[in-house]
Amino acid sequence: MFFGKKNKKTLLKKQTEDLTPPSQKNMDEKQSTPSTGEGNPQTDDRIPISDSTEVFINDVKEQIHSPADLVIRYVTDSITILYIDNLVKEDILNTKILPVLQNMQDATPSGIHNQLPLPQVNVVDRLDQSIDMMLTGAVIVHVAGHALVTIVIIPARESRGLSAPENESQVIGAQVGFNESLSTNISLIRRYILSKNLSNEKLKVGNQTNTAISIIYIAGVATEQNVNTVRQRIQALDIETLIDSAELAELIDDSSMSIFPQMLLTERPDRFCDGILGGKIGILVDGSSMGILCPYSFIEFFQSREDKNLRWPIATFVRWLRFAAIFISIFFTPLYVASLTFHYEVIPQPLLVPLSESRAKVPFPPILEALFLELIMELLREAGARLPTKIGQTIGIVGGIVLGTAAVEAGITSNILIIIVALCALSSFITPSYTMGNVIRLLRFPIIILAGFWGYYGIMLAFCILVIHLLRQTSLGAPYMAPFYPPRLKDLGDSIIRLPYPFIIRKSSNARVENPDYSKMRVNLKGDKKEVKK
Amino acid sequence: MKNKLQIDSTQTFNAPLLFFIICSAQIGVGVHGFQSIIYKEAKQDAWISIIISFIAAHFIVFIIFKTLELYESNDIYGIVLDLFGGNLGNLINLTYIVYCGVAYFAIIQNYTDVINTWVFPGLSSSFITITLLITVSYAFTGGLRVMIGVCFFSFFLSLWILIVLLFPIEYANSNYLLPVLDNDFISLLKGAYSMTLTIVGFEIINVMYPYVKEKNKAQKFVHFGLLFTLAFYLFVMLVTLTFFSGEQLEKTIWATLSLFSIVHLPFLERIELITVCYWMMIILPNLCFFAWSAYRGVSRIINITDKKFIVIFSLFVFIGSLIVEKRFEINTFNNYFGYYAFYIVFVYPVFLYFIAFIKKKVFKRQVRKE
Repeated sequence: MFFGKKNKKTLLKKQTEDLTPPSQKNMDEKQSTPSTGEGNPQTDDRIPISDSTEVFINDVKEQIHSPADLVIRYVTDSITILYIDNLVKEDILNTKILPVLQNMQDATPSGIHNQLPLPQVNVVDRLDQSIDMMLTGAVIVHVAGHALVTIVIIPARESRGLSAPENESQVIGAQVGFNESLSTNISLIRRYILSKNLSNEKLKVGNQTNTAISIIYIAGVATEQNVNTVRQRIQALDIETLIDSAELAELIDDSSMSIFPQMLLTERPDRFCDGILGGKIGILVDGSSMGILCPYSFIEFFQSREDKNLRWPIATFVRWLRFAAIFISIFFTPLYVASLTFHYEVIPQPLLVPLSESRAKVPFPPILEALFLELIMELLREAGARLPTKIGQTIGIVGGIVLGTAAVEAGITSNILIIIVALCALSSFITPSYTMGNVIRLLRFPIIILAGFWGYYGIMLAFCILVIHLLRQTSLGAPYMAPFYPPRLKDLGDSIIRLPYPFIIRKSSNARVENPDYSKMRVNLKGDKKEVKK
Repeated sequence: MKNKLQIDSTQTFNAPLLFFIICSAQIGVGVHGFQSIIYKEAKQDAWISIIISFIAAHFIVFIIFKTLELYESNDIYGIVLDLFGGNLGNLINLTYIVYCGVAYFAIIQNYTDVINTWVFPGLSSSFITITLLITVSYAFTGGLRVMIGVCFFSFFLSLWILIVLLFPIEYANSNYLLPVLDNDFISLLKGAYSMTLTIVGFEIINVMYPYVKEKNKAQKFVHFGLLFTLAFYLFVMLVTLTFFSGEQLEKTIWATLSLFSIVHLPFLERIELITVCYWMMIILPNLCFFAWSAYRGVSRIINITDKKFIVIFSLFVFIGSLIVEKRFEINTFNNYFGYYAFYIVFVYPVFLYFIAFIKKKVFKRQVRKE
């Protein structure tokens, strides 16, 4: 599970050879019904189905440790049905299946398969496979005297309705977010992308949880190489449980040791679709309301989907604002600490007077003062995130008014530092990706300490190491600092600035296009597409 | 040809990046105080000395490319091994490796000295050396791709320093430049010679050439890079010459930093404190490339991984830094190093080309006879 980098690579290389081409695989997936239990680690112990009803029921009970919600019903003398309560749609069972079964003469599994008016009916001859399907929401129909069972798949998965994305809200644009159901999420994506090239590969991860995972990309736009890498990395996972996509993102990214996320987690279907239309690969995990997008470069974490809905000068301004915010958020407090500890002479006299006045009563060195306030800020944020929304407002008042003013009046911190810390906190929340925002916030602490010990030299040291660290990262093998380094002039139009649409070739070369016609396409203002000279 | 380098296509980089590589390899700690050194020789015509030194540099780049083109894809180490055979070749390569090591050492020493003088008089120089060594090692172990990335970012993130240099123009007195060409040609040449410490860095192409993807375009971008540095040095020199009077300049060790210190902004004073610390970003590519050049050479002599190499290399530099400590010693050291660098960078390539050219001729004649 936590293999080293080298192991990961060798493991991935080994698997390259025995991989079936994705197109063929797709076909297989589309023909079979969902969750057939393929790729399931339990398939090795094949248990045949008994033709005796009693033995069969005992076998099933033994396999799943006779849970309380297992329903066994003898429909006629020979026909028995088994299902898990609340996992199947009761109304379909009552209206469509039971009447047919009751009126059936000389029932055989294939006869039932033919007569049931439902789309997903299979005949299976393996016990483990039928149990797996029952656990995902199917009814097993057993006919005495036959070593086969009919499986009717009518899953009733409880999920909440669609709601607006809470963590990535935006003013202009769609107001719908992913929810916890994989099938709902895929239907949301299919609503945005009607292309026949939209590929959906299903995989299973987790020996215990058997979590369904969908790899979603547009065939011909996403590179074969990237798709293979993602597939290999997921298949190479040997883990017991997988609950959320955030876990998966950390398990399969390039460098798990880095503080920076290398794959985007988003709960916005429009942002997700935007990514896969641009050649990225999306991963959805059943039970998680966050989709993963990769490869993702550093700069793209600071772009919001809303930038594309705003007029380009405004969008560009907002992007610049974000870069200023990153800088302020990481370096403002350290600069304050360094200037007041070592480099008084850098501050002009008119500015130095109010600064020293506000600090006159403070008994601590600037580094302690800053760390203290930043820590309070983090406490407030974490408390606000954990508290129920009703109490959340109280925290704002306690934090803002009580702690802030009282700390200054008590002479523990200076006014100006409170302004700076508030500014830093505000700036860190501007980042459109919550995971990246966290990184920006955390980076500040080591830099404050360096600044407190070695002044500007310490800050510069941190800055250099940060730049080198960012340069060393890759996302799915693609450079993390693209399009700046390696320089890709064509992609710069949609990075720190957002050029008007006619100037943007809407494709990041991180995901180089395979279909040449698509890459030549440029969106014209009039809405029609025209060929662009190479 | 033997010793030919086989370089994986993922390791190579595009030729335009050479522009940034040459710029950031050349501009380094020398910018802080090269003016007074040249002024001592060439007086108010110091800027002409700079131009002369760059003409020489262009010529050397031309020669280096001529030599490299004789061999398809090889660096200077491989060429020497081919020309002089194993033992003698290794010995000559060793001098080049030592040059890279000493250059690395010189940069760290000079930077430590500037930090100690301008920002932190009390900060232990060993601490500065160690932190720099760690930072460079971190970039070095990332491979050539990361190092070129560092140089690329270093170039763009440092452009703001040019704006700071615009402030002193307000106090410029162009009369200080007159009379032009008042000094004899010998002193101009001497001035150009004392540019050596500041101008070296472009010889990185000796080692980097096999890694360039489009080899036919490489030379163009190296010359562009040299032109940019020439423009930068000329600009700094002209600003300095017009700002300081002659006597002032002779007494100023770090003229550029003194220029920075006159800038006053409503929220900022003493900008030189910031620029001196910021200079770490500028010397980082220099250090990376010198370490890398040395590594390429060492890996020809003994089989060594880059991680082992950088640890041993850093250890040597650290021990060296404990020996040379005071400003007085650093000046003597710089003088010796300038002398050494002049021969390695400006004389050695010409000599090498001469030998390689003759060998090629003789070789061809032999083939024809057979």
